Amino acid sequence: MAVGDLALLVATIMGVYSLLAIGLNMHWGDTGLLNFAHAAFFAIGAYTSAILTTPPETGLLANRTVGASYPIFVGLLAGATLAAAAGVLIAVTSVRLEGDYLAMVTLSFAELIRLVIHNEGWLTSGAQSLKGIERPLEGSVPIRYDLFYFLLVLGVVAGSYLLFRRLAGSPFGRVLHAVREDEEVPLALGKDTTWFKLKSFGLGAAIAGLAGGLWAHYVYAITPNMFLPSLTFTIWAAVIIGGAGSYLGAIVGTAFIVGIRQVTRFVPSDVPFASDLPYIRLVVIGVLLIAVLYYRPYGLLGDEERMLAGSEEGAD
Amino acid sequence: MTDPILRAEGLRKSFGGLLAVDDATFEVEEGTIAGLIGPNGAGKSTTFNLLSGFYGADAGEVIFEGEHVEGLSPDERAQRGMIRTFQITRELTGMKVMANMLLAAQDHPGETVVGALANTGSVESREEQARERAEDLLKFLELWELREEYAGNLSGGQRKLLELGRALMADPDLLLLDEPMAGVNPDLTDRLLSRIDDLQSEEGMTFVIVEHDMDVIMSVSDKIIGMHNGQVLSVGTPEEVKSDEKMLEAYLGGSV
Amino acid sequence: MAGFDPQFVMAAFDPQFLWNGLVVGSIIAVAALGLTLIFGILNFINIAYGDYMAVGAYFAFAANTQYDLPIVVAALIGMVVMAVGALVVDKLVFERFRSRSAIVLLVVSIGVAFVLRNLIRIVWGTGSRRFSGPIEAAPQFFGIRVLPDQVAIVVISVAILGGTYLLLRRTRIGIAMRAASDDTDLARIRGIDTERLVTYVWLVGGAIAGIAGILLGLDAQIRPNMGFTALIPIFAAVILGGIGDPIGAVAGGYAIGITQELSVVVIPTEYKPAIGLLLLIIGLLSKPEGIFGEATR
Repeated sequence: MAVGDLALLVATIMGVYSLLAIGLNMHWGDTGLLNFAHAAFFAIGAYTSAILTTPPETGLLANRTVGASYPIFVGLLAGATLAAAAGVLIAVTSVRLEGDYLAMVTLSFAELIRLVIHNEGWLTSGAQSLKGIERPLEGSVPIRYDLFYFLLVLGVVAGSYLLFRRLAGSPFGRVLHAVREDEEVPLALGKDTTWFKLKSFGLGAAIAGLAGGLWAHYVYAITPNMFLPSLTFTIWAAVIIGGAGSYLGAIVGTAFIVGIRQVTRFVPSDVPFASDLPYIRLVVIGVLLIAVLYYRPYGLLGDEERMLAGSEEGAD
Repeated sequence: MTDPILRAEGLRKSFGGLLAVDDATFEVEEGTIAGLIGPNGAGKSTTFNLLSGFYGADAGEVIFEGEHVEGLSPDERAQRGMIRTFQITRELTGMKVMANMLLAAQDHPGETVVGALANTGSVESREEQARERAEDLLKFLELWELREEYAGNLSGGQRKLLELGRALMADPDLLLLDEPMAGVNPDLTDRLLSRIDDLQSEEGMTFVIVEHDMDVIMSVSDKIIGMHNGQVLSVGTPEEVKSDEKMLEAYLGGSV
Repeated sequence: MAGFDPQFVMAAFDPQFLWNGLVVGSIIAVAALGLTLIFGILNFINIAYGDYMAVGAYFAFAANTQYDLPIVVAALIGMVVMAVGALVVDKLVFERFRSRSAIVLLVVSIGVAFVLRNLIRIVWGTGSRRFSGPIEAAPQFFGIRVLPDQVAIVVISVAILGGTYLLLRRTRIGIAMRAASDDTDLARIRGIDTERLVTYVWLVGGAIAGIAGILLGLDAQIRPNMGFTALIPIFAAVILGGIGDPIGAVAGGYAIGITQELSVVVIPTEYKPAIGLLLLIIGLLSKPEGIFGEATR
């Protein structure tokens, strides 16, 4: 592959993962919710859109017996909607839990969802890959397809960025921020904080679901192993390194993390440790995450003044 | 005296084996200031939490503006016009002073997702209206210059004022103030008291105030509710409660 | 359809499941004991705990197969390495975050987990490994197939649990640990040096994590993510038993192991892992007062 093709591929992955980070930033950065089920929302979006747009398998070895041929935009929309519904459903049971316990419950739900995807082959192809997922407008765009898809993803990222930033800066976002700071205060001022948390969860999950759909229609084939908890953790690292609470930070953080992960594609295979590079870069991400939390808790683009306000360093 | 705006009937709450509030019954008349006093551990803060819905009562009723509210959540009680402050200030440290104030605006159409995204004229005008009210209150509380400061950077006294301002922003019918003067400088205390007086006489707002400074609470209140060991020991005018021997004993006993 | 898939056929009850459950439960119980000790005193969810288990297993594996040491000696090496390792990780990382919130520490532990798991992959590769040992026949008792490894797991876990019980009951440091687990501040008032306690907790908890990983590797295979994938039932045992309660965690561990293995009677085998997930969810959702109150933090 030429370097230009690789660059487009990496940029598209950055775009899709940026959408995940935008959703997680609404959960964690704006509302203070520890959502560890993000990979599951991503998976729900991917599988929903894939199943709705890809006919069932045929032949003797057919595994998946369910499928349809709806237009891709229907699949994307349904994927985002179903991911949002799953997010709200999980949140209904759990958002009253204290932060770190919410993390464990959401992580468990995510694994449960992955277990279902893995085991229900008639619906999802199970452990094998769900193949032959159609690409939108393939063959009918006047520019290179990779470039077209990148521009499509870029457009969705830009739109989502503007939308979520607008939400965060609105009176709605103000209540979310108040929930993040101290939930009892908005409660005492007449805000139904549980309802606001559900909305936050649903919105962030919806964008993750949309990201899943865009992922599925880009990669042709999806497997349950694309949606491991380590993906959730990677997006967490991106949001924290970028600066929790900043949507631009979420995108920059993702570009940074994906960049570290994908840069090895450009490294020739005859350098020392080349075969270990995939793992070395994950070690680097882990070290970076810890270092940022220690030296720069507000991340690359977070609001230092806000983070320090009220803490020991910030008090005069 | 007018009708009671608030009635507590047989309120009871225990934590583990400890009875924090024991069969508390009292009324607060509309448009008056009631002082809730008692030695430490008398159950004043627990009573506040029961009235505002932050604790569920083991038994008893809370009637606010003629409606039973004991089964309602804190936000539902607040929406009906009963707003409380906290003894230990709960300023939202990572939000600016102005945002703290605006948060309290009631019935804001911009707090729905659609309203926030569409940003219609009604959202803008509600926001503008809230800003004007916040400006008035912040200027009065001498916090206007600090409006773009993070609340976490305010001094203790300023945080108390911000919390009071935020509660007033919600335009309550009944305001439950938990030690509003603690840590506020004496000049401002006088101005706060006269403001509370104005709100009561001009807007007919009702107050229940927990305060340790006896001179202050006795001078400002129309009615005193004296608590001890979770029970309402004495109810009456400041003069009556001051001369009630049971109350005197409670305080003397409490200080040993 | 699902009903025609032979994989989805449910099994009838068989005492074999009970024995398997006891074996799995033994592993979860030991792992949960170490985790609850650490959790009770450090007060944060350590996501890297599963990777501590893996590190213990891999060091034992290296001693066993690469240096041809007997499995018992190798296991001791794995325990010691992880005991010291847990302390080193604390000194390098967690100690610097002591004043930060439980949530920050949780995220920090994710970073630690990333580092440990991928260091394992770099050093030992991604494939699955096994301890070397003779492949022995599996004798049958009353129709139950009992592997020698399984007997070892059950016996060793009882020994570990008993030893830890004595440590917590009979030694000054153990008693102090229990006091601190009940209330960290109280322990400080009573004059217990909490930082010294923390040192002992990492040593003991790390050693237990190491042996738990070795037992897990003995039962199944040694893989880089073996600990992480086992983490959820272990957390479920800790939560069900009450955080910081060693006896509760052990009871929870056996209960989860046996429930999980017996579950195949009523649900398809493929959904066995769902038991741990569901128990964790149910445990967290059903105990909001006891576990989530401010007092326990």
